[in-house]
Amino acid sequence: MRDRALAPSRILIYFVVSLMAAAWLAPLVVVVLNSLRTNEEIAQASMIGWPKHWAWSNYAAAWSGFCVAETCAGIRPYMLNSALVTIPATIFSTLLGAIAGYAVSLWRFRGDSWIYGIVTLGLFLPQQMRLLPWTIVLRDIGLINTLTGLVLIHTIQGLSFTTLFCRNYYVAIPHELIRAARIDGAGFFRIFWRIILPLSSPILIVTVIWQFTHIWNEFLYGVTFTTGQQQPVTAALIALSAAIADIPKHGVQSAAVIIAALPTLLIYLFGGRYFVRGLTAGAVK
Amino acid sequence: MPITTITRRRLLAGSAAALALPAIARAQSAVKPRLTVISQWSAGSDGAAITALGKKFEEKGGIWQHSPVPGFTTEMMNKLRAQIIAGDPPACSQLKGPEIAAWSKIAPTVNLDALVAAAGYEKVVAPDLARLHKPGGKWISLPLQIYSTNMLFLSKRAMDKAKADKIPVTWADFNDLAEKMKASGITYPIANGGTRPDDGQKFEASLAGISPTVYRAAIMNLDKKALEGPEIKAAFAQVRKIADWSDPNVGAQPYATNLKRFVDGEMGMLIMGGWAQGVLRNAGFKFDDYVIAPGPSDNTKPVFLLNADAFIFWQRKEADLQAGQTLMAQLVMDPAIQTMYSQITGSIPVRTDVDLSGEGWSDGQRRTAAALKDAVANNQAVLSLAHNMAQENGLTAAMIDVITEYVKNKTITPEQAVTRLADAVEGAR
Repeated sequence: MRDRALAPSRILIYFVVSLMAAAWLAPLVVVVLNSLRTNEEIAQASMIGWPKHWAWSNYAAAWSGFCVAETCAGIRPYMLNSALVTIPATIFSTLLGAIAGYAVSLWRFRGDSWIYGIVTLGLFLPQQMRLLPWTIVLRDIGLINTLTGLVLIHTIQGLSFTTLFCRNYYVAIPHELIRAARIDGAGFFRIFWRIILPLSSPILIVTVIWQFTHIWNEFLYGVTFTTGQQQPVTAALIALSAAIADIPKHGVQSAAVIIAALPTLLIYLFGGRYFVRGLTAGAVK
Repeated sequence: MPITTITRRRLLAGSAAALALPAIARAQSAVKPRLTVISQWSAGSDGAAITALGKKFEEKGGIWQHSPVPGFTTEMMNKLRAQIIAGDPPACSQLKGPEIAAWSKIAPTVNLDALVAAAGYEKVVAPDLARLHKPGGKWISLPLQIYSTNMLFLSKRAMDKAKADKIPVTWADFNDLAEKMKASGITYPIANGGTRPDDGQKFEASLAGISPTVYRAAIMNLDKKALEGPEIKAAFAQVRKIADWSDPNVGAQPYATNLKRFVDGEMGMLIMGGWAQGVLRNAGFKFDDYVIAPGPSDNTKPVFLLNADAFIFWQRKEADLQAGQTLMAQLVMDPAIQTMYSQITGSIPVRTDVDLSGEGWSDGQRRTAAALKDAVANNQAVLSLAHNMAQENGLTAAMIDVITEYVKNKTITPEQAVTRLADAVEGAR
């Protein structure tokens, strides 16, 4: 073992991997360092540099201080809005996707492959193309400018992805299992609940990570279908950064970006090892 | 589960629209003015200025309901479109340039002619600017503040280093000064950035400085002959000089990243809008660090490239919103409000009759306002391409594509650039 650890090929691999990791992490390092420097310091020196004195106040300003027009409440209320949209939409789209994926992979019915095809077609439609149809739908059901409307959008749009992934995972499950359960008298939902769902944790973790990250980071719908105080955190971040007539506030921006990225970062940290496992499990079949 | 809430909401919304609103409108003759506003202004001095305007609106007894849509213009347009389709346009929204005419065809707007006449506003607005805000001959929108996109900023330390004290007036003066700076050891005499609007500004400043008449014909009126004329080629040649004197490592970063080097005298000149003043001040630099003058003009009279922010007013049936629109229009045209607004953002008032000699105005603002007056008198105030004042978004994007590629790719010759620009215009029309 010891010999192998010191072999030149090993050293080379570690060297290359460390180099790639350093390149990958460099932007994050810049953001973390800038989140601890004052705006004046960054403007007068350069974007890249070591903090002269630690400006923790950036985090306070980012969390509850900076102004979006008349409202000076920092990023906090917008984080809550994003959570109120992301959490229900992730749960609904994952559950519905699991049921749909289970139906199209393990049950045969007329037009099943067509339905599967049409559902996954949603993956190929650009966001902008769906904006106007959604506007009309939300208007007609009276949900424009509500967070409920956003939950509906993300639940339905998420279905394309969650159905695709769950279906690809479930086709690996032996059909004998389903047949045996049917002989025992179990119906569609009982089989799903008792047999399929307990087998699904790897793929459910994948879809949860994927959905959570996408919905949390989404900007276009979030900013179009909400108003004022209901906007998601991405809108607040853009508000903080899009001032052409002002010097960029890199310090507070960096702090806000880090705070806003924390929820997705935590999801990855806890579910990350399932992510690759679940992805490959689905990809083989 | 969502189905039940949907139906309930739908019923509520339906009954509210059918019964409540017209009843309120009929019952109350003297309503409290209310205004729903959509704008991009959320951060920094823009956010502070619109907040101050809202406070004034509230002081006059109104209810101010501002919904900032942060980000680029596209996002705000999406939001506006969604609200219009939903049958709930804002009473007032930020819009500028030829987009005012384009959007006024999508939903009914408010005719402001009577209010404008009562305020005597038309006399004090630059003619090209007034035309933009009254498509079809009726005022439907009101300009609020003006920036010039081609002010020339000179670094005092770089001037000292080059032993130069004369402010360049023509492009030849400008080029001489840049050479002089280069000879005195300043590697990059130009401090501009590399964003799309920045590249567009380099071009529009060059062309308008060479000939405002050709600028108006080629860029504003898209005259084919003017677009292929010798002045366009000369403008591209000037842009190449500017690009050669700039730091190529700026990439697509904003000019603000160079301000420190500009003030230190490592860079000499910046062609930028008047807003750069506010940026320099906020970054902790002093007025003594630099000089501001109108951008180079070969006929020696100032050329003013206009960039103006405006509000458009959308038709609403509610009496309180209509009262709010009247109050807002009066406020926007009020010299005191324009003064307050411009002093926060660093722009200049739309009204040419505001006195800028008092406290609260900077030297740069006074020079900008004087340049506007001169330029209007000589018919040399033209509309900015880079800041979406001269053409609609699609055409602007096509033209800026050509310009920004030319700035970055030095193998393209000015002759080729002229053809490309003319082709781009032809293709986008």
